[in-house]
Amino acid sequence: MKKAILSILGRDRPGIVAAVARGLLDLDCNIENVSMAMLQTEFAGIFLVGMPEGVTVGEIEETLTARLDPLGLQVVVKPCTPPGLEEPAVRSEPFVITSRGPDRKGLVAHIAEVIARHGVNITRLQAVFKGGSHPADNLMIFEVEVPEAVDAGTLRRELHAAAERLGLEITLQHSYIFETLHRI
Amino acid sequence: MLTEREIVATLEMVKSEHLDVRTVTLGLSLLDCAGEELAAVRRRIAERIQRTAGRLVSVCDRVAQKYGIPVVNKRIAVSPIAVVAAAFAPEELVEIARTLDAAARAVHVDFIGGFSALVEKGMARGDRALIAAIPEALAVTERVCASVNVASTRTGINMDAVLRMGEVVKAAAERTRDRDGIACTKLCVFANIPEDIPFMAGAYLGVGEADAVINVGVSGPGVVRKAIDRALAENPALDLGGISEIIKRTAYKVTRVGELIGREVAEALGIPFGVVDLSLAPTPQVGDSVGEIFQSLGLHGIGVPGSTAALALLNDAVKKGGAFASSRVGGLSGAFIPVSEDLNIAEAARRGILGIEKLEALTSVCSVGLDMVALPGDTPAETISAILADEMAIGVINQKAAAARLIPVPGKRAGERAVFGGLLGEATIIPVNCGTAENRFVRRGGLIPAPIHSLRN
Repeated sequence: MKKAILSILGRDRPGIVAAVARGLLDLDCNIENVSMAMLQTEFAGIFLVGMPEGVTVGEIEETLTARLDPLGLQVVVKPCTPPGLEEPAVRSEPFVITSRGPDRKGLVAHIAEVIARHGVNITRLQAVFKGGSHPADNLMIFEVEVPEAVDAGTLRRELHAAAERLGLEITLQHSYIFETLHRI
Repeated sequence: MLTEREIVATLEMVKSEHLDVRTVTLGLSLLDCAGEELAAVRRRIAERIQRTAGRLVSVCDRVAQKYGIPVVNKRIAVSPIAVVAAAFAPEELVEIARTLDAAARAVHVDFIGGFSALVEKGMARGDRALIAAIPEALAVTERVCASVNVASTRTGINMDAVLRMGEVVKAAAERTRDRDGIACTKLCVFANIPEDIPFMAGAYLGVGEADAVINVGVSGPGVVRKAIDRALAENPALDLGGISEIIKRTAYKVTRVGELIGREVAEALGIPFGVVDLSLAPTPQVGDSVGEIFQSLGLHGIGVPGSTAALALLNDAVKKGGAFASSRVGGLSGAFIPVSEDLNIAEAARRGILGIEKLEALTSVCSVGLDMVALPGDTPAETISAILADEMAIGVINQKAAAARLIPVPGKRAGERAVFGGLLGEATIIPVNCGTAENRFVRRGGLIPAPIHSLRN
């Protein structure tokens, strides 16, 4: 079955998920994965759906836009690459990079660039910048996959160097420590 | 998927609450290094330590960095030297202590334990020689730790050995007179010594253990204290049952960290993993204190009425949390109250809130004993022996480990300060009631029989 990936963006309000799901059901599409997030007052949702024979990406976009546009939501739909055509999976270990420190422009860019330079993939990013000096108010948490071939020592040193320039405290820790500490 | 709360809580535990792995201790059997020719025995011991422990520090550092959890100390515990080197005279045993010290330095570990004898029922020739060698061995080495087990619940108290150890403690203090008797900080007298303690100065590798084993000592008094403070801030009406639950959960977390680090170090070294010893072991830093926990529990300070009950609650909750977290819990596992190594306890002793009598009462419910207690330099050997005998009796009757690390500080009196430096800290010398009076009881010697195991009251 062909698949499509949809992103829905707009101001949050009741009924967004219902409208998207009803539109997809009317086209006989099957929702396989959903991830949604709320940032302050904004909604962002990503839907991965299976498309029946005869339904096109264009039809999905047209149908959903017609229903969601009146709600002030933007829709983007694109075809999904079928599994097996990407590059073979790289063996990697999950790590967590956490930074805390005063807010300023460019924090995400500077740290993410160091991560990218090492070929490390960010699988999840949570960031909160409220300003002020409380450490918990200015926090970036990058969950990353560090390929086995990457030298963790060099990555750590470069992260620390970048953090020092930005006035941040930064840590790179294997994610298992968090599960060990907090979960049974 | 990790939550922001889990991640922030972990960072806080390491950064502000002093969560760390206090020690990864490599237990190393030296039994097959025994022999009759001193030079050959020394060579075999040095080679064995170098070969097995050569990578210990680098592996610990790598694993610590991977998880972001400091491994503060890396140590070695060897088979009892009184067994390994039973053939030698005291002066030759001092040479073996020098070998251990040099080997420890070569592999960059800060302490090596096992200059030890097990004499709870009687002393063999090697035991007598080792005990005679202790003062000199601890004075001429930096990293060697000694322990002597003089009592057990199965055998009773070897009062001849207790009497002898009073003299040894005095001699060790005198031999390091210029450093406030620092040799005594590396000497523990034990009842019911566990074979797998990773903490110094009592660590040695039991004769029932494998060739090599990795034991881990985790600490975290600061983490426990902060957890109690947070819980009480959220619910000021929390009762002691609720506080016990908080301590249990915290102990669980800390133990899990220790096991994770220990298992990974063991695997990297190709050595079996032994036990996690979850003991609340303080250091002389603000925020890393067992004494501060007493204040969080609502006591004016450690030593005031209520302290023994508070310590019993703490010690038990720590054990329960640890036992749930890991099926490989061993060593001492509980709370330590080393006077000089804990700023808050040292302060309680200075202010006179905590005396030796209350300390002794506390040791009946905690995991070790009279630890790092500085006494007046004129305390006679037989009084030291009598204090040791009291502490051993607490361990023997309660079927628990009990130890004493007493420092009769040469040339100093009660109220003066003894300074040992670093992790060993400093303490006010506390008085001993009737300390200089004659003590014919301990001079009688013999064996105090093993206790009855029925009619328990």
